[in-house]
Amino acid sequence: MPRFSEVEVGQDLPVVSYEVPQEVIDRNAVASLDYNPVHLNIPWCRKAKVFGTELPVGHGMFTMSLMASVVTRWAYADGAQMREMDAKFFKAVPAGDRLTCTGVVKEVHPVGAGRNFVVVSLVAQNRQGEPVAIGTARVLLAD
Amino acid sequence: MGNLDRLRPYLVTAKQREFEYDFIRGAEQYEVWAEVEIGSRYEAKQKFLVTEEDILAYNLGVLESDPLFTDPDYAQRHSPTGDLLQHPLFLVQIAFYCIEKGPCNWIRTPGARNPGQRIAWYEPFRVGEVITLRETALDKWIRRGKYYLTYQLDYYNQDDVLKATWWLTLILPPTREDVRRYAALDEEE
Repeated sequence: MPRFSEVEVGQDLPVVSYEVPQEVIDRNAVASLDYNPVHLNIPWCRKAKVFGTELPVGHGMFTMSLMASVVTRWAYADGAQMREMDAKFFKAVPAGDRLTCTGVVKEVHPVGAGRNFVVVSLVAQNRQGEPVAIGTARVLLAD
Repeated sequence: MGNLDRLRPYLVTAKQREFEYDFIRGAEQYEVWAEVEIGSRYEAKQKFLVTEEDILAYNLGVLESDPLFTDPDYAQRHSPTGDLLQHPLFLVQIAFYCIEKGPCNWIRTPGARNPGQRIAWYEPFRVGEVITLRETALDKWIRRGKYYLTYQLDYYNQDDVLKATWWLTLILPPTREDVRRYAALDEEE
């Protein structure tokens, strides 16, 4: 379990990787209350092609949540807290794709007991290994 | 909105069962990019009472499997806080619930795309807190023919403590006619 004093710049975080079938998209829609037809309505998606594909696509916020899970699974059991996160999405994740999210510690900020934090760089890739999203998280760690 | 009966087994919380899930049906009432007045401020009428079942359902919906996130009894004995741990993106559920029918309902727009987001957390939400969402229309812009809109969503508890802020950005169909066109695809053969 990571404590701030044990973390080094360049450290890789455990990978989070999942298949994203329609069932996973459905469950996330219900959990987040985001029922946009682009995620759920199969006949509508076939006609709308919002992202160029006829398939429903996963929520951008689901991609962001798996990127965040790289941090939660690494450090939350030890009392870490996410303080800030940003993500940019540049490729849709059609139903049936796979998401693999990785993270690496980019900065350590020894600003004082109870306030020490790290900056983590995050990437989400699809089944082909293409990046679909990048992000950064600021994470308060236990001393 | 197509056949969403397949979702029924996943509706486990009171909020999920009550929520209006048809995002196309109400599209005529959604705010549209062209009509948003930057600088406008709103307070969502619908409040969010944080319950353990809400947190648990969200954790499961983002595929958490650690018992600290999925087993309240285990979390009570082993988590750093003594509570079920909460996935940071839990605030997405709060936003969609509070906004359901009021201002900022453009987040439900058919045809919208998500270019990226920024979120800040000040402290975790607690079971029993009543969350109010305050919304500020922050910016709208056009880039490469796409219409971006950003609202700042501030999450306050019943004691007026700011818990989190989400700078929510989407690329939207710009006009009401564009939104209608996307909504109409649900009716066409």
